[in-house]
Amino acid sequence: MFVGGCDVGSTTGKAVIIHEASIVAHCITPSTTNPEKTARFAMAEALRMAGLNSIDDLRYIVGTGYGRLKVPFAHENVSEITCHARGAYWLNPAVRTVVDIGGQDCKVMALDKNGKVLEFVMNDRCAAGTGRFFEAMALVLGCGLEGISSPANQGANAATISSQCSVFAESEVVTLINEGVELPNIIAGINSAVANRLFSMIRRVGLTKELALTGGCSKNEGLARALEKKLDVKVTLLPQDPQIAGAVGAALIGFDKVNHH
Amino acid sequence: METTITSTAFAEFAATAEAIMNPAIEEWRNNGGKVVGYFCSHVPTEVLTAAGLLPFRMRGTGSTGTELSDAFYSSINCSFPRHTFNQALKGEYDFLDGLLCISSCDHIRRVYDNWKQNLNTPFVKIMSLPKKVGDPQVEWYREEINLLRGELEQHFGVQITDERLRAAIKLHNETRRLQRQLYDLRKGKHPAITGAETLAVMVAGSAMPAERYNALLRSLLDDLSRSNGTREYRARLMIVGSELDDPEYVEIIEEQGGLVVTDSICYGTRTMWVDVDEQAADPVEALARYYIQERPSCPRMNGDQPRRAQFLRNLIDTFQVDGVIGERMLFCDFWCTEHYMNRLDFKEVGIPFIQLDREYILSGKGQLRTRIQAFLETMGK
Repeated sequence: MFVGGCDVGSTTGKAVIIHEASIVAHCITPSTTNPEKTARFAMAEALRMAGLNSIDDLRYIVGTGYGRLKVPFAHENVSEITCHARGAYWLNPAVRTVVDIGGQDCKVMALDKNGKVLEFVMNDRCAAGTGRFFEAMALVLGCGLEGISSPANQGANAATISSQCSVFAESEVVTLINEGVELPNIIAGINSAVANRLFSMIRRVGLTKELALTGGCSKNEGLARALEKKLDVKVTLLPQDPQIAGAVGAALIGFDKVNHH
Repeated sequence: METTITSTAFAEFAATAEAIMNPAIEEWRNNGGKVVGYFCSHVPTEVLTAAGLLPFRMRGTGSTGTELSDAFYSSINCSFPRHTFNQALKGEYDFLDGLLCISSCDHIRRVYDNWKQNLNTPFVKIMSLPKKVGDPQVEWYREEINLLRGELEQHFGVQITDERLRAAIKLHNETRRLQRQLYDLRKGKHPAITGAETLAVMVAGSAMPAERYNALLRSLLDDLSRSNGTREYRARLMIVGSELDDPEYVEIIEEQGGLVVTDSICYGTRTMWVDVDEQAADPVEALARYYIQERPSCPRMNGDQPRRAQFLRNLIDTFQVDGVIGERMLFCDFWCTEHYMNRLDFKEVGIPFIQLDREYILSGKGQLRTRIQAFLETMGK
């Protein structure tokens, strides 16, 4: 039995197909201005990769993410908070804290030993500490997202960036550039500013090991190291691309639905 | 959740909540009646009624921006006075014959300052509301109410006799009694009215003459007695918070399947759970005692949190509440502290709780939906 999960985020669309409790296909596509199109595109690609002919080959599909109400072929939609928690816990059952850093949201979920979400926090409306923030900074620094992520670029003397607002942080970065602060120290400053913000969100729900990062920004190694330093805890690596954790969780919820009926 | 009510009374309530001006006020004014706007549910509206004035509770309904009022507020002021004052600067409140502010919070006090300096409303007054709930404070507020009584008599050329005060208290108590009956219909398994609809009914109660409102509410109660009620919902929720006057906000919560069955907000139980004593020898003292000591208290009252917590626990039992939404307008310090304590209290008794910060006008709907949906999911609903 094949089931699918489709996570339409603000920046990327993710589709996952699960067969008998294992992932048989997953794909990540850039979001379009039309969430339905993003969903169709991601799922068509995943179906192709799984060697399936049509959407009808999937017994149940769960939509999640910002565009979850617009996934045309979904049987139901579940919030990305529940899906990311479910996906991360399934990928590593030792996980008790999940930090999902997406394109325009970041969320922290506290899980119990059965993977149930005990509590969660979500950032406010602004894009501080999210993919949009990193994109804006990469543009100012002209270093690309890889430049911000690269372990080689994390300067030892992180510059202080106090503003959490993307717009204000940008002017702080411009000031740093003009003061002649070296690029790696600015990059380290950007990552540690976001790590600080995540740190305070994590403290709201309480940190319990293991901690996993999910969402697109979890691939930012510079951020992961800055967060580890701040928390004094190692980030647990997931055995799959952490960006698809939400879609994995959605597919698993679909799997449960079919099995319960 | 779909509106299932077919009731002309409800249609009038809904329309009244959606706008500042409404036909009932127009009619009142065409007949020579005067209207006094007031901020905060601690204002003794019975005195206005006794003076033959129509009390209208101030709100910023319909506002889309604060470009006119921003110049008068600092960055720490909340968006409620900003939007409401912006509406006033646009001329939406030109129909007022008076404005009654109260020192309920610093933000409302700034409305008084700015209003007095920038608008030409003939009667503008601020009342002093004590910060504690003891007997000396009742005495203080009794004097405040008597001062108000005197100033209204002088300005509007009316006599506010004890007899007229008693009649006004009776009339407003009748409103409270009818509103409690409405809430009774939400206690059962299939509530006859949704939370969003209830909020519209409550908001309308502060925007039309009490006699007319009571008659309409009686007719609505009659219509609802034939309703099958809401059958499909995921959880029963309570909203706890401040000045929430927008039914659409509650609608978004209910669209996710969380039926709001009760509340402790400024347009809800706090204004009608208890009656003013109709038998007291001094009606002014009865009013003072009601507004300071007897009505369910608001977090701006110091030293009264245990009583508020008990009130919430009683509501949870009475309305079989599954989870609580703590609503707070950004920059409100009273509710920030209160929800911190609520969170601890609810954790102790195992009631799921989520705090949602908001702006006065509805924004960030997507994030609101996600939070509510995730909240219901974590409740296992």
